[in-house]
Amino acid sequence: MGRISQYIWRYWRHYLFGGLCLIGTATLVMWIPWWIREAIRIIENGGALRDVRYYVLLIIAAAIAQGFVRTYSRALIFNAGRNVEYDLRNDLFAHLEKLPLSFYHSQRTGDLMSRVINDISAVRTMLGPGVLNFANAPLYYVYAVALMLSMDVRMTLAALAPFPLLIYVARRFRGRIMKSSLEVQQQMSALSSHVQENLSGMHVVKAYAQEEFQTQHFIGLNKDYEVKSMEMAKMRGIVNPVMQGINGLTVLIVIWYGGIRVMRGDLLVADIVAFIAYLNVLAWPTAAFGWMLSLVERGRAAMRRLDEILEVKPEITDPRAPIAIGAIKDGIEFRDVAFAYERQRNGHPALSAINFTLPVGRSVGLVGRVGSGKSTLAQLVPRLIDVSSGAIFLDGQDIRQVELRDLRRLIGYVPQEPFLFSTSLKANLGLGKEQCSPDELARATAIARLDRDLEIFPLGLDTVVGERGVTLSGGQKQRATLARALVLDPPVLILDDCLSSVDAQTEAEILHGLRAILKEKTCLIISHRISAVREADEILVLDEGAIIERGNHDELIRRGGVYAELWQQQRLSEELEEI
Amino acid sequence: MTEAIEQEEILGKAYDFGLIRRLWQFIIPYKRLFLLSLLLLPLQQAFGLAQPYLMKVGIDQYIASKNLWGLQNVMLLFLAALIGETLTVFAQYYFSMLVAQRCLADLRVAIFSHVQKLPTSYFDRNPVGRLVTRMTTDVDVLQEMFAAGVITLASDFVMVVWIVGIMFYLDIELALVSLALIPPMALAINFFRVKARRTYRQIRVRIARINAYLGEAISGMAVIQLFAREQKTYREFEALNADHRDAYHLSNLYEAGLYSMVEAAGSVSVGLLLWYGGGEVLHGIIGIGTLVAFNEYIHRFFVPLRDFSQKYTVMQSAMASAERIFHLLDTPVDIANPKTPQVPKPFRGEVVFDRVWFHYKAGEPVLKNVSFRIEPGEKVAVVGATGSGKTTTIKLLNRLYDIQKGAIKVSGVDVRDWDLRALRRHIGVVLQDVFLFSGDVRANLALGNPSIPLERIREAAEIANADRFIRRLPDGYAAHVRERGSNFSGGQRQLLSLARVLVYQPEILVMDEATSSIDTETEALIQDALEKVMRDRTCLLIAHRLSTIRNADRIIVLHHGEVREVGSHAELMERQGIYYRLYQLQYEREELKLAAHDLGAKLLA
Repeated sequence: MGRISQYIWRYWRHYLFGGLCLIGTATLVMWIPWWIREAIRIIENGGALRDVRYYVLLIIAAAIAQGFVRTYSRALIFNAGRNVEYDLRNDLFAHLEKLPLSFYHSQRTGDLMSRVINDISAVRTMLGPGVLNFANAPLYYVYAVALMLSMDVRMTLAALAPFPLLIYVARRFRGRIMKSSLEVQQQMSALSSHVQENLSGMHVVKAYAQEEFQTQHFIGLNKDYEVKSMEMAKMRGIVNPVMQGINGLTVLIVIWYGGIRVMRGDLLVADIVAFIAYLNVLAWPTAAFGWMLSLVERGRAAMRRLDEILEVKPEITDPRAPIAIGAIKDGIEFRDVAFAYERQRNGHPALSAINFTLPVGRSVGLVGRVGSGKSTLAQLVPRLIDVSSGAIFLDGQDIRQVELRDLRRLIGYVPQEPFLFSTSLKANLGLGKEQCSPDELARATAIARLDRDLEIFPLGLDTVVGERGVTLSGGQKQRATLARALVLDPPVLILDDCLSSVDAQTEAEILHGLRAILKEKTCLIISHRISAVREADEILVLDEGAIIERGNHDELIRRGGVYAELWQQQRLSEELEEI
Repeated sequence: MTEAIEQEEILGKAYDFGLIRRLWQFIIPYKRLFLLSLLLLPLQQAFGLAQPYLMKVGIDQYIASKNLWGLQNVMLLFLAALIGETLTVFAQYYFSMLVAQRCLADLRVAIFSHVQKLPTSYFDRNPVGRLVTRMTTDVDVLQEMFAAGVITLASDFVMVVWIVGIMFYLDIELALVSLALIPPMALAINFFRVKARRTYRQIRVRIARINAYLGEAISGMAVIQLFAREQKTYREFEALNADHRDAYHLSNLYEAGLYSMVEAAGSVSVGLLLWYGGGEVLHGIIGIGTLVAFNEYIHRFFVPLRDFSQKYTVMQSAMASAERIFHLLDTPVDIANPKTPQVPKPFRGEVVFDRVWFHYKAGEPVLKNVSFRIEPGEKVAVVGATGSGKTTTIKLLNRLYDIQKGAIKVSGVDVRDWDLRALRRHIGVVLQDVFLFSGDVRANLALGNPSIPLERIREAAEIANADRFIRRLPDGYAAHVRERGSNFSGGQRQLLSLARVLVYQPEILVMDEATSSIDTETEALIQDALEKVMRDRTCLLIAHRLSTIRNADRIIVLHHGEVREVGSHAELMERQGIYYRLYQLQYEREELKLAAHDLGAKLLA
């Protein structure tokens, strides 16, 4: 509970004042029955109506005051819970921003989301309503029991006699209800995984006309769920009325035993009324005790799960003593670079023995089959992932010695999967810059050949991209991500097969435009199409994580190896396209 | 995330009679039980509300007159009322939950079986997660409504009516005094309700924004990091988060205010009661017990008022869920069984595509005027480059999609006139990505049909060369298959899918061959199994293996959605057209490998 107490401490004022208000509320709540007793006593003894009305005014004053103090106590403590929720969510977000790509590969977005949403909410419930009820229960007990004892000890003992029974029932059923609710949850997850599977395999279900069997299976699981839910409902249905009934029993005792005492003349009806009032006050904290405990348990479990995320160490961090880096003079060098994913067992590394240089003003092309390690290689440069061995140098400095921000600022990276945020195109293109001029935007969109699309969009650059850019075609998205990198005018440009959805004609135009600006830049072009890399100064052919051929286009064609074969195949497909 | 926003858009009404009427349809089968639980409500409340009255009688009639025996009788009645209340509360809750569970289980089945009938295109558009939510979360929200919403809301109303009635019966003037605060309270509660609803709506919009932003940030984290946008994104997130928090601060204040106000009003009413009633007692008009009873009734009167806003919220989200559920249930089933489904007998097994036009998206035809005929027992391979439309032909044949123009006939009958189930039973499909269901091997081969004897399954598996590896599994045919068959290799999955075809013995085999590479030993097993499976069947093959093409009687070349060449391998090679190039592109390397393999074998021999 280390981390959680830090959050609680931040809002100690809320909890302190909220707590004081709770005490104030409890005090007022407890005095009202006392004054009711006084008023009835006067009535019972045939006193003056004026005296009764004195107490009535006290009651009304206390009631109104209580309204205000109670409002503050609840609002303060619930707000504290919301504040912790706010902090926790921010901190989690900030932490997620530091975690490397590998973390996101090992987690499903949906799982992560539901953790962040549900667990934070459970922690919040614990710190808001949980704390309130937890603080209230002892307060009410101490107050009510003390006041009852001060009225009459024997009556108090008689009235509280059924309480052990109450505690027994609560404890006995709490365990059972929790077990039962776990079973209901398990059954629900069985049900939803069946649905999930059925829907994912819908084409098979349909192709084999299995709808009926699938439905039968579902009905079976559904029935089990119904049965389990009813078991839980039965227990819940027993506990609440039994608790209520026991509470009623205490009232019965008070009236019966108290009635006898009144007849004997050593007690007043007013005392009975007050006793009933105090017992009513105790009914809620007693009934809610189990619920309160489960809030705390759930909150703690949720916090443990959140801790798991918060304790993931960001593997890729800034160096302790970063080296400042301005413009690039020499270029980038890969020296004996190897990379293996953690989950890869029995060592087949994703990349091994990678050596090449990327001097300023030159471009290197990278080709290879799917899964040959091309994207992995590209991700190493901006340190989305870190090399397992060897090193990458920037002007002779290991890139791990440079501050991440500085390093990434030098690189315009266009990922394979075009990802756009659901804001305007303008905001997307200007993602890497605080301010960008219309000229810069125009230049970038012209090279990326997004200019023609912008003319078609009625809102131009203000066009809002739908969630994950769904309103754009694949080619438009790719060109937008290219433009986004070009806006930065970065010294290093990395294009990770980013023109795959662009037609051949447009691709040629884009490559032509790029060539003009690449003179002072360092560029790494990855492509499955030869046409995109054929003009590169050096072409590397990657296979199973190793460089198997290198040279320029003509050299590689002459060699008649894998590259030449790829070239041949692509020419054939192009021919085929044209038939 | 869009879903969260969509949720918000239709949130608002707490009662929509159209929806309630439709929900009622699901309650009808259990209407007796439902009626019983409703009838228990007034009974339960009568037991509860008798208690303060008995207090009054005890105090005014017996304690005042020191009648011990009378008090004892009244207290025994009190005990009886207590027991009666406990029992009826339990029974009422139990029966209403029974109705809820049963009719919601029915609702879930209704959704599930409706979804089974939805056209394939629906699943292309709607993510699986959303559909799962309909059957789970949304139905659960309705359950919440049963447990905490509609019935208790009704019961609260009845209770309030009861209390007012009893109060007026006991003493009209005192009743008026006790209830004096109700009109201003009603106004105040309404004020809070309107405010609370507005902030509640605001909160939902804001939490939806947070979640959408978070989801997007998680998916696009690499981009955020690459462009060094961490701080800017954090600031934006923080702003959304703060908006949400602030909305809650306001809402907390309203809720706390409402709660406290109702509590205060209860105490003030008691004060008024004493103010006025005290005089009446002193003048001997009423007994002190009446005062005590009124005190109790006031107490019970204010509890439902206090909980009203909470129940209102439950009802609101229940209506939103019901709306989404019925929206799904109202989605039309495009591909339905024809009115007079036909099952031609005898089944001959020829397949005819007659000038078929098809598109997924209007204006982008995938198949253009495609015609071909496959005779019974004939094996036809369809080849073409990626995007030529070859996989689509399979989906059309068993009516996963309906065509827009032309006709597809199986055994002389248009597939749209066929009995859908019968049609699909006659066509066995082996897809590229073999989908296995979680469960055991046997259930996967029989596709959940328990009436197929294990003998027949084993026989099929044996022919399909799957029996050997199945027997080697820890539990044999009862071996567990994990979700999506992840504990089986690609080759094993393919063998299983071939065995599946043999279990069902369809007359027509349709296969989209897998492209993934498989070790040579398994590859040989698959080839062998394939040949056996294809024997004596009409086959439509999307071929990726050279051997499959060679075994085909005829090859149809699809190019950009059109049939461009038809003929045998040799004929088409001679033509040096599309097939010739495709062959060089896709199959030549494989042939070289095979040749080398053969050569090696010969040399060894």
